[in-house]
Amino acid sequence: MNFHVYNRDLCVGSIRIIGVASSSLLMVGDTQTIQLASVFDTPPESLIIGPFVPLTPK
Amino acid sequence: MIPMLQRTSVVNNIKTDTLSFSSILEIGDSTFIQGFSRAIAVQREAEAFFGNEADFKSYSAFQIPIPFSPISANISMHTQQLSPIIKVQNIDIIGVSASSILQIGSSNHISMEARVEHIRQLLPDYTDKK
Repeated sequence: MNFHVYNRDLCVGSIRIIGVASSSLLMVGDTQTIQLASVFDTPPESLIIGPFVPLTPK
Repeated sequence: MIPMLQRTSVVNNIKTDTLSFSSILEIGDSTFIQGFSRAIAVQREAEAFFGNEADFKSYSAFQIPIPFSPISANISMHTQQLSPIIKVQNIDIIGVSASSILQIGSSNHISMEARVEHIRQLLPDYTDKK
């Protein structure tokens, strides 16, 4: 496969962001490779209703 | 360095209120970025903080491997810089957190990973007695 790129004028006026979080990336520039991975877990057992007890590691 | 990465980044104004938890604001180029963050997020209905509780090892979210498929496609890429500049007038960010990166400049390889276990603890509902 042949992939040809012509980078012409790139001009951005204003970027406004509330938050960049949890290993996120904001980049003004070029890069060759980007690999992003994310795990977010909220299993049913994570909703605990009852008196507050410290989280007990298994 | 590969010639395709010869673009220059120009940002006239940056405003960031907060950079926290191993986050980075990098002005300049880099070759390799690797970010990693782990969090156990506990929400309780009332104020209660026990300090040294919970262990990353007890939750599968921090154990399971994330398979990265290798980039195997054979692509020949040619880039021509007809205007070797990236211009941004203004950047305004409230917060950068948890191993996040804000970079003005180019890089080669970037790999970021985040793992979050979210737990909620609610008080018993005493009004619901039958």
